[in-house]
Amino acid sequence: MHDPGRGRMARRKVKLDQGGVAGSGSARPAASKGESPPKFDVESRAEFTYADDEPSAFASMLGGLIEANVRSRPEKARDFESLVARVGIFVTDINEGVTLDFKGGRLIVHNGLKPRRTLTIRADADTVMNLSNLKIGLLGLPIYYDSVGRGVAAKLLRGKLRIDGLLPNVLTLNTVTRIFSVQ
Amino acid sequence: MAVKAFSNEWATEFKDEVNKSSVYRTAAKGWKWTVGLVVEAEPDKNFPEAKGVVMDLYDGEARDVTVGTAEDAQKCDFVITAPYTRWKEVATKQLDATKGMLQGKLKLKGDLPTIVRYTKASQEMTECTTRVAVVWPDEK
Repeated sequence: MHDPGRGRMARRKVKLDQGGVAGSGSARPAASKGESPPKFDVESRAEFTYADDEPSAFASMLGGLIEANVRSRPEKARDFESLVARVGIFVTDINEGVTLDFKGGRLIVHNGLKPRRTLTIRADADTVMNLSNLKIGLLGLPIYYDSVGRGVAAKLLRGKLRIDGLLPNVLTLNTVTRIFSVQ
Repeated sequence: MAVKAFSNEWATEFKDEVNKSSVYRTAAKGWKWTVGLVVEAEPDKNFPEAKGVVMDLYDGEARDVTVGTAEDAQKCDFVITAPYTRWKEVATKQLDATKGMLQGKLKLKGDLPTIVRYTKASQEMTECTTRVAVVWPDEK
């Protein structure tokens, strides 16, 4: 179902069943005992929509995570504006997937894996969480030499983390990782 | 000695387990927010009223853990909600909390990047709940 020859996808009009539960799961926490909550201070025109009437918990969580990242971090907002790719993420131990359709400043989150994906990441729940904990180093490249990075790299080598469409889309993967990372 | 699930005695033992954990202390460095666990009622499981667990967690330490109403827990910065049976599954290692959240079995409210950054701490906290010997109301 992949289109490995294309790192970027042409813009297409997507018919949505229903737009907009943007921000699900990314509520801003209130201040606690004088501590500042995380700030959402990036003026972003980013749009987040969900293709399904009832987004799955996993779809809401990933969409909410990316939205919170993009709205709070200017460097992630810039990556989000530039990214055009359809990325599938499948969590092997809960048998659930989502498709993240990045359209240069817009994200449409679909329940399940949809066709014509640029990249598909398959891993267990812990590894998916670790992917979002990868640190980003110089030149915007994910760091694979600290403990989290080594864990992710080891799973890739052992086949417990599979990335379909990786070779022609390494730059796209790096951009997705930067947007996805909470570090 | 086993304590009644989600009682004040349970809260004290849970707090002690968290504070004994060097893994938690390291993984939760920098955490500065309150966490509420809402345990929804299941009368058919002999758990007739919802309860709330309020955890005051700061920089790797559990400063206080109290059991009160669901409304108390809902005021926290991060709130995790599930029926009694789900929490029992988590505490008896039948349900992994991370998977439970991804599947929507445990509902999370709060800033997602922050909680994802502290995945290891939340996993260790779940481990701490499993170390408290509990008398479950549906097993009497």
